[in-house]
Amino acid sequence: MLELRLVQGSLLKKVIESIKDLVNDANFDCSATGFSLQAMDSSHVALVALLLRAEGFEHYRCDRNISMGMNLTNMSKMLKCSGNDDIITIKADDGSDTVTFMFESPNQDKIADFEMKLMDIDSEHLGIPEAEYHAIVRMPSAEFARICKDLSSIGDTVVISVTKEGVKFSTRGDIGAANIVCRQNTTVDKPEEATVIEMNEPVNLTFALRYMNSFTKATPLSNTVTLSLSSELPVVVEYKIAEMGYIRFYLAPKIEEDENE
Amino acid sequence: MSEIETLAILEELSSLVSDRLQVVSYKWLSRNFLVSSNAAKKLLQEFVEKNKNDFEAVYTIAGWLKKTPPTYHIRLVPQPKLAEAKHDFDGNCSVQVYSVQACIPKDPAAIWNAEYIQAEELFKQPIAVDNCLRDNRFCGVSNSLVKRNAEGAPVAITVPQAKGIGNPGQALGSSVKQTGSVLQPQPKKSEDASPKLALQRSSVTTPKTETDRSGTCDIMQIKAPDKDKTSLPVKKKGQSDKTSAGSKTSLTNLWGRASSKSKSTNSSVEEKCVASKTNGVSVSADAQITACELSEAASSDDNEADVNFKRASNDGGKKRRVVFDDSDEEDYETAVNLGSPDVPNAKLSQDSKFKSGTLDIENKKLNFDKQDDCKPIVKEETVIDDANPYAKEEFSALYMCKNVRVATSEKIHERTPDVDTSSKKKATEAAPSSPKRRKVLKTRIDERGREVTEVVWEGEEVDTKDTNPIKSVSESVKSSNVQAKKVEESGPVNRSSTTKKSPAVGSTAAGKAGGKKGTNSKDPKQGNILSFFKRV
Repeated sequence: MLELRLVQGSLLKKVIESIKDLVNDANFDCSATGFSLQAMDSSHVALVALLLRAEGFEHYRCDRNISMGMNLTNMSKMLKCSGNDDIITIKADDGSDTVTFMFESPNQDKIADFEMKLMDIDSEHLGIPEAEYHAIVRMPSAEFARICKDLSSIGDTVVISVTKEGVKFSTRGDIGAANIVCRQNTTVDKPEEATVIEMNEPVNLTFALRYMNSFTKATPLSNTVTLSLSSELPVVVEYKIAEMGYIRFYLAPKIEEDENE
Repeated sequence: MSEIETLAILEELSSLVSDRLQVVSYKWLSRNFLVSSNAAKKLLQEFVEKNKNDFEAVYTIAGWLKKTPPTYHIRLVPQPKLAEAKHDFDGNCSVQVYSVQACIPKDPAAIWNAEYIQAEELFKQPIAVDNCLRDNRFCGVSNSLVKRNAEGAPVAITVPQAKGIGNPGQALGSSVKQTGSVLQPQPKKSEDASPKLALQRSSVTTPKTETDRSGTCDIMQIKAPDKDKTSLPVKKKGQSDKTSAGSKTSLTNLWGRASSKSKSTNSSVEEKCVASKTNGVSVSADAQITACELSEAASSDDNEADVNFKRASNDGGKKRRVVFDDSDEEDYETAVNLGSPDVPNAKLSQDSKFKSGTLDIENKKLNFDKQDDCKPIVKEETVIDDANPYAKEEFSALYMCKNVRVATSEKIHERTPDVDTSSKKKATEAAPSSPKRRKVLKTRIDERGREVTEVVWEGEEVDTKDTNPIKSVSESVKSSNVQAKKVEESGPVNRSSTTKKSPAVGSTAAGKAGGKKGTNSKDPKQGNILSFFKRV
């Protein structure tokens, strides 16, 4: 028996919207401690890891660990039927091949049940080692989304280089080139607008903008985004989900043949 | 262990427990960080002392119960109940941290999930890989009969792998050497200054392994002193029943099945395969091929050979067919390597389960790993069978061994895998390149009279068309190149000793084209996430 009641139902909608373009089907793993997902995109270049801790739910009941394979497009269709202020309850019986989403309007005058069929998904769980990153950049998520969007109109890849001066996003395409430099800036009124750079070593990595743009779909979830970079490691783009957990995107870097470019 | 190492592990432990919400037991810790189980317990103890308030700990209490007759009892209790539980025990009892976790799971099985999965993974590794479960290196219980091999290659068919927690092979090992096997107690047990120590030892240690296997982590209760001798064989019987559902207690059954249970991807494949087989003769090989293909999709190692064993009874005679599938993936040289190298073993174990699960099915089928190549191969097989009635006769009593040439050495794996074998009958897939090495199936009778089938790298060209090629094969076998070994007891009862001595080795080629194209072939520069993170 599984019953998860999420008062802030829009959060779940945003989560699904942020990953459905990247991943078609995924297993949601529910345990006594939380609701999580790990999935790779079909080309095995990017990986998304989601965690919603049990404490973040108003009511969380998960009698036994259960893995529910869902098609995210279908899930998104169903969640779109909920209002933004609705309370969403996810329910599943043991051994059942369906999951039920229940939407309650805030004043309890409307209750909707949507039942979705589950799928058997063969997905492999990857072990993600804890790593020390050479550089960690925290910046406003909207800013990051804007940068990725702008650069993708020029080129296909973005070179992210972190130095003492700041973080530089650059691209090059048929029509020209672009460089955007963000300097560390902690003297802002609101802490979420700060750009904080922690750097142990300069890094310079190239990524496909297509994926970055897809990651920025999670922007509504958090005001800030954290980019953790290390040479030889995938970048981690993390959006914290307030008081609940996180959504992390891992993207394998492009292999640079010529570092001077 | 050095201080730094300890700190690193403790730090990682903290992140495992708090971020990934994993239950970390000492067994898991020991295998994961390659420390001895005692060191792992100490680490956990240290961890618990440091982070008493952040995490929940489950303790193992072991000792004699107060009630009469005294029974030896091992109990897992959460921290709050520790003091209370101690009252149930008589005098001294040992208290150790069993596991740490973010919260006490509602389902007790969750305590044990992580380590079970881990043990499964370890057993799925290729047999040639000597991991910590196979050689039992971290277990507190040691077995004097276990030989460890410095190179890591298992010693032929003795029982080196037959031990370790959760290994069904243990049942086998101890039944073979029942009288001689002296189980030494885990060190923690010796803390009990009981006069019945000797008896207690064996009674404690053996059920413990059983408990590990069966997955209950609640309470183990052992009638201590006198029942000892009887409990031992009884347990063995139970284990062998469990591990080999078929009546044949071949070693492959025992070893293979342990790891093939309940792994999601594999089991679904198996279900498909078995289902398609039971449908009868008319089922096309495609279903199986598709199924096998699925599991194969994960494999990345160029040099692995997948061995599909299929046994079918024909008119009372036993027939076995061995197919070697060379799962050479040519396109992996552009894509970054997809995964961990332990797939071949998973496949092996899957197949051996497969075999025992389909003993009774009449029609014989071959399993192939590649969808793309299946049809040509099937034809080849047919050709061989028809054109080689001699070999076919032999089948009723013998293994049919098929060997497959692997595309040269590892270094030139980008070449189209070569499927040529010296048997001229199948020209279909033969590729002209000239491999220097290949995998060969070698069958021989070991000193115990069992038939041993093993896969070995063969150095130079060997004409396997020869009706009795076993000699030349064995000549060129380099024992150091053993990639995988399968040990089979001679199953069919009607097999005579004379036929055992002259196994026919048929040869065929499994055609092998690269199969699936790299998923990210559109951009060769794009790295693959799987080259950074390993599958767990």
